[in-house]
Amino acid sequence: MGHLELKNLSVQFGGLKAVNNLDLSVAQGELRCLLGPNGAGKSTTLDLICGKTAATSGQILFEGRDITGLSEHRRARLGIGRKFQTPSVFKELTVLENMEIARSQNPGILASGFVFRTHIRGRLKEVLELVELKDHVHTKAGNLSHGQTQWLEIAMLLIQDAKLILMDEPTAGMTIQETRRTGEIFNSLKGHHTMIVVEHDMTFVRQIAETVTVMELGALLAQGSIEEIENDPKVRAAYLGNEVANHA
Amino acid sequence: MDAFLNQAFAGLSMASILLMVALGLAIIYGAMGVINLAHGEFVMLGAYSAWLLQTSLGLGILVALPIVFLMVALVGLLVERGVVRWLYHRPLDTILATWGVAILLQQLVRSVIGSESRYVAGPTILDGNLVLGGVVMSNYRIFLIFFSLAVVAATWFLLKRSEFGTKLRAVIQNKEISECYGIRADRVYALAFAYGAGLAGMAGALITPLVSVTPSMGTYLVVDAFLVVIVGGVGSLLGTVAAAGMVGEATAMFSMLMNDTIGRIAVLLAIIFLIRFKPMGLFPDKVRR
Amino acid sequence: MNRTFKTDCIGYALFAILLLVVIPWAVSFDGFALNTYARYLALGMVAMALALSWGYAGILNLGQAVPFALGAYIMAMHLKLQASAHMPGGLPDFMGWTNVEALPWFWQPFHSLPVTLIAGIAVPVALAALLAVFMFRGRITGVFVAIITLAFLVAVQLVFIEEQRYTGGQNGLTGLAPLQLLGWRVDNYSTQFYYLVAVCLMTSLAIGLALVRSKVGLVLKAIREDASRVRFFGYDVARYETLAFCTSAAIAGWAGMLYVLVLEFASPTYMGVAFSLAIVIWCAVGGRESLVAAALGGIIVNLLEGRLSDMFVDGWTFFLGALFIVVVLVAPRGLFGLVQSAVRHAGKTIRSERGGARARWLATGMGARRIDNGGR
Repeated sequence: MGHLELKNLSVQFGGLKAVNNLDLSVAQGELRCLLGPNGAGKSTTLDLICGKTAATSGQILFEGRDITGLSEHRRARLGIGRKFQTPSVFKELTVLENMEIARSQNPGILASGFVFRTHIRGRLKEVLELVELKDHVHTKAGNLSHGQTQWLEIAMLLIQDAKLILMDEPTAGMTIQETRRTGEIFNSLKGHHTMIVVEHDMTFVRQIAETVTVMELGALLAQGSIEEIENDPKVRAAYLGNEVANHA
Repeated sequence: MDAFLNQAFAGLSMASILLMVALGLAIIYGAMGVINLAHGEFVMLGAYSAWLLQTSLGLGILVALPIVFLMVALVGLLVERGVVRWLYHRPLDTILATWGVAILLQQLVRSVIGSESRYVAGPTILDGNLVLGGVVMSNYRIFLIFFSLAVVAATWFLLKRSEFGTKLRAVIQNKEISECYGIRADRVYALAFAYGAGLAGMAGALITPLVSVTPSMGTYLVVDAFLVVIVGGVGSLLGTVAAAGMVGEATAMFSMLMNDTIGRIAVLLAIIFLIRFKPMGLFPDKVRR
Repeated sequence: MNRTFKTDCIGYALFAILLLVVIPWAVSFDGFALNTYARYLALGMVAMALALSWGYAGILNLGQAVPFALGAYIMAMHLKLQASAHMPGGLPDFMGWTNVEALPWFWQPFHSLPVTLIAGIAVPVALAALLAVFMFRGRITGVFVAIITLAFLVAVQLVFIEEQRYTGGQNGLTGLAPLQLLGWRVDNYSTQFYYLVAVCLMTSLAIGLALVRSKVGLVLKAIREDASRVRFFGYDVARYETLAFCTSAAIAGWAGMLYVLVLEFASPTYMGVAFSLAIVIWCAVGGRESLVAAALGGIIVNLLEGRLSDMFVDGWTFFLGALFIVVVLVAPRGLFGLVQSAVRHAGKTIRSERGGARARWLATGMGARRIDNGGR
């Protein structure tokens, strides 16, 4: 039994089946990379898991519990975190305030009503130091550089401490060094957190991947280690032939 | 039965007026996302323009119609250039700013012309009634129904078949890209706003023989017109026609069965429920934006 | 959050000094003038209530006058019953004129002052909660909230005018008795009464500040920026929005009760579109991002209205219309925004005189920031 199981999952927009009878099982503490050409349904799959999009049919099981019908905030409370493709931090809030929002172990109104200050200590201090934002805690997120914004979002994911982290192209727009450090952080999270990462950058995928799942036209195409995938003729035909040649 | 048919005709006649008011609003809201609370004041200005042209120059409503259209369109153009154009990315603020415009326009008319009711004579060639069985239909109201449909047809032609319409639809879809192709989005918006205002003015002129003209006459009309726009769905002309028919008939039937106030409350509650459950209207545009 | 806390305390203290010391002293404790200012304070209170939902959560409630008017009517019902004690059956005069035989059940509880005081806040809150759950569970935002609340406002006003037998219709409730509060016969032209209103304003302001400076305020600000992102952190967005909406309604109802004590009548104009949108403009003039500023906005605009409309009657309406347009176009953040950028500008000049790369970095950072108030 995996930590996250997708069973026969489908979603339809008008006539288009964006995800088509997808079966997927991710083990506890595993880092799974999701690959596939544009329009393969990778982002939609993440949307389905976190609740942004409702499934047309099929089932999503998280820790053995059926979460298919739950609203976004209920799934988040169960421990599913999400990073979006475009950096989505709160630009009007300061770095520290963003972190306070992300520190959402007690998301109820009553609990929030008695929180008046954010103490920079413990795990929060560690995370801020890790992403080198400790000197900018009072800077508005809108005034950060692009790289810093990406780091802030990763820091928010870390402090949210979700059991399952869904990431959509986390390294988009990062420099090579930043990408490598992101990879190191992800590797250190393996074992404690289950992660699903949608990524195009093959160097990065090689750095972090254990098992890779390839999707095409909303369905599962192949699954295995990075070597197996790269030698799979089906994948080559559908994907490696054009996409990886450009990226790797 | 005759009472029912008479009321149904009254509803149809009300629908034709609503249609003209709502059409302008539908363009301004549908195309630009601007909630124009001053739209009722455009109607009011149209009514006063008709009154002014009749009392000072002796022009009948039908002759004055093109002049009224241009006059109110000009006011609309000024409002768009002066106020609305700064707010296209702040839809909430258009509500506040156009409300300010509404206050200004009402007070302007009140100060210059006075707040007492004015009356405008209808066109003499349309005097008299058409009687079918027990149903009495005034010629003027029949004319209004056909005229409003003609206005819809003209608007449809303008939006779908003319170069201006193509540009407008391009700008609605994607302003930046349209500008890259050399379309002057600013000018397109300004003209569309002016056209919507002109339509409202024309509607105002046409209803003068049926209602008394006062500075605050537009306030109630804008609520009903807004309902029509929402029911009709954003960006759908046929939807607007159908919605005008529905709202006109529903209001007429409600006021026959109950009283006017309860009819109005029912209309408002309908707005609330529609927005809650069908914010894109009953006949939404198929294109996903 | 520490720095904003300090500015809050300073702002709150200055505001308290203004209300409790400067204003009474400036009008030399003149009863008539104090009554006028008490009216401005009640209106400032409802503007502050709007800032709570509009400024923080981005919920533009164009029907803010509804809870205000409900509070006003509830207080007026109590005072009307007190004034009608000598009438046959204790029936208010206007009911007699419209042939109402017995006091309707929903008037009965308002014989009691404690019930009135509780209901003046609880009824607006209950109605607001109903509307809020209806809207926010359906994820209605931005412009659509504005239209729904506006339509709701007009509907409520129509009901109050239509049900003349029970509400006094167009005339509202007049001929009210003075309030008897714990044996004190409240004289609305007295210094004590002014202080009662001022203390109510300061108390509600403190409650509002506590709310927006806690994490609740932070979550509300985050919701204003990107509601769906907040959901993915596990917050129940609808519930937070409902809380802001209801707290705002509670303070508005409270302000409405005070307003009736000041003016000694309740009228359906309190729930008119013109009045409700005026509240929005007071809030906008002061600055919707700050509760103190919004309250000040309500006081200042009404003070101006009091002065200007004496001089030229029509002129005021022109001025109000122009104010709407100018504030929205030129200063969407209101006086608060203007003061804030002036202070920043001064700070920037001082810092850049000191030189240093850090100062320049900060300055360009500030210069580059843009505020987008997009509603959808």
